Amino acid sequence: MAYQPCDSYFVEDMEQDGVFAASRSRQEKARIDADTQMEIADEMSRMVSEEYQEDVLDHMEVMEAETLPDVASIDIQTEIQWFMRPYLLDFLIEAHTAFSLLPETLFLTVNLLDRYCSKRVVYKRHYQLVGCSAMLIAAKYGDRKDRVPTIRELKSMCCGLYDQDMFIQMEWHVLQTLNWTVGHPTVDNFLQMVLQEVNCDLEVECMARYLSEVALFHKDFVSVRPSVMARSSLALARHILGRPIPRHSEWAGKYDTNVLVLLSQNLHRPSSILSRKYASPEYACVSTILEEFLARQAQIAKQRMPPTPPSEVYESSRTAMDEDMKSQDVHMTPSKGQQQVTMGYITPPVTPNAGYFASDGGVPSSRMPITPTPQHQQQYLS
Amino acid sequence: MDQTGKRHPSSFQQLEKLGEGTYATVFKGRNRQTGELVALKEIHLDSEEGTPSTAIREISLMKELKHENIVSLHDVIHTESKLMLVFEFMDRDLKKYMDHRGDRGALDYVTIKSFMHQLLQGIAFCHDNRVLHRDLKPQNLLINNKGMLKLADFGLARAFGIPVNTFSNEVVTLWYRAPDVLLGSRTYNTSIDIWSAGCIMAEMYTGRPLFPGTTNEDQLQKIFRLMGTPSERSWPGISQYPEYRSGFHIYATQDLRMILPQIDPMGLDLLSRMLQLRPEMRISAKDALRHPWFADLKQLRAGIMQGQQQAGAERARLEAAARAQQQQGMGIGGGMGGQVY
Repeated sequence: MAYQPCDSYFVEDMEQDGVFAASRSRQEKARIDADTQMEIADEMSRMVSEEYQEDVLDHMEVMEAETLPDVASIDIQTEIQWFMRPYLLDFLIEAHTAFSLLPETLFLTVNLLDRYCSKRVVYKRHYQLVGCSAMLIAAKYGDRKDRVPTIRELKSMCCGLYDQDMFIQMEWHVLQTLNWTVGHPTVDNFLQMVLQEVNCDLEVECMARYLSEVALFHKDFVSVRPSVMARSSLALARHILGRPIPRHSEWAGKYDTNVLVLLSQNLHRPSSILSRKYASPEYACVSTILEEFLARQAQIAKQRMPPTPPSEVYESSRTAMDEDMKSQDVHMTPSKGQQQVTMGYITPPVTPNAGYFASDGGVPSSRMPITPTPQHQQQYLS
Repeated sequence: MDQTGKRHPSSFQQLEKLGEGTYATVFKGRNRQTGELVALKEIHLDSEEGTPSTAIREISLMKELKHENIVSLHDVIHTESKLMLVFEFMDRDLKKYMDHRGDRGALDYVTIKSFMHQLLQGIAFCHDNRVLHRDLKPQNLLINNKGMLKLADFGLARAFGIPVNTFSNEVVTLWYRAPDVLLGSRTYNTSIDIWSAGCIMAEMYTGRPLFPGTTNEDQLQKIFRLMGTPSERSWPGISQYPEYRSGFHIYATQDLRMILPQIDPMGLDLLSRMLQLRPEMRISAKDALRHPWFADLKQLRAGIMQGQQQAGAERARLEAAARAQQQQGMGIGGGMGGQVY
């Protein structure tokens, strides 16, 4: 460019300014474009779900009915008892978190575990093995390949209690027992489906998932359909958080009041492992929010009636549990008290009070085929 | 599917090898009791990690998918070192069918329409049942002697949720992989299978794969050369994809008729709706089935039946004539008298 006198200096400067302005506007445009793309993606996701939602939902509702565990069958288990289940779930929740598996994988794991226990007699010493195998299958079914735990990792989580071969055999046995029907639509699947219809609200989402996971611990919800569970958890989550129930969501509006009330009665003393998980900001600290909510409720209740020291309730329930394993209280998460293990996933293999049930229930019920043990390999390898 | 343990590998006579995949080998087999032909898919079990996730997904999904355009799974048999899946037997895959039946691989108009309709029906059923196939290609579409087409090999398939989660983008054989996946998208949905179906439709017309790329980049380039290089204007947000390069060679959009001169306007319309670069613009399987191109399918099929009948009648007439001639030639009977009759 030819030399320009003084006044062109400003012109050039202006031009330069213009270049910056242009680049800034380009950046701005890129940002807008990115937003546009997100919007388009959301919009198209909505279109796709409009196209398929109805059919997919129909199919999910058929599948959930076909893949429900049967509480009555689990009741007649001779060795494993309901009070042991929360300990196993605590272990599975920690493992699930440690492996960063998808939320739905936890629900699927518990479903596979309970379905297996509805069909086979499970020895106490194998309960954790069944749980690990269920998690292995659930992760293989739904998670990314690089997230699926290796058997070596599972073995070390169980402190070497089971050999590598036992995991492989149990995995196979669970698959066979469930006749390879793994595709159980989980509470989480239903929650995601409903929640995409409304504006993103992390607190509601986490609270609903937290409540659903609290429900996992209670026997009363084992045979409740995941779609019913999802609706009730969501409605209760919205109530706790003071959110209005969106009117347009017909599906979510049809929640089961009984399940909701039952759920609300089971919110006290959740598993400490679970409440710690949901106390993190990643999960919008919903367990703390719930605690505060319950404390407020208790405050209101206290003003109305003479106070009952909470420790008394706690103590009495523990004695009740020790006295009568089949009482209502055993369905609740037992407080582990002094037995409580430290943070980390090396929870010792299930079964508290290890000797307690060793002598009784030694004879497995003939109504159910027995869980294979390593000594009985041939039974199910053929 | 039968209960565990009722069947044994020895209940099937293993015949010739039909194919070999990355994680399985497929043999033709015969049920010793019934004589029924089957396809036996043998999966080698990893002694370290147990049952492969591909097998868990394939078996559990196929148990949910019972449809006439999806190959059916009869049984699962387990032995010490392998897993054997027993499928219904199909005569050949679409690739072999094209090589065998087609004119240098290209198929006739009526067959293409019938196969496309069956392919889309199979896909629509998968999608309705929240399953993505994720590996549609001619080798995975099986054809039997009745002209039926069925989807097979659900080793890469998976159940999707609504909304769709992020998935691996290491899916679908390169040639049939959708541009959004090639650009690194991990939030694809049902439209991924539709792109593959479009590629397969074009391949049935020409007998050659539409986009035979060698690498991810080459694949994109082959697609852009025909469909035109997308820009922010034609595809808002494209530059946000992980694999997007501002240096993509700029191609103008070509007319699909250039490479598919045989295609009729209606078929071209359907094809171009399936081969949309932007996933959200791609037609759904259900809508594709309602496309007017399929309106005359029934008639065409009836026409073929009639044609076959006519051909059959013609053949019978010729045979009769030949017999008559033979008889005449051999001088059996009073030929003239017979004619008069």
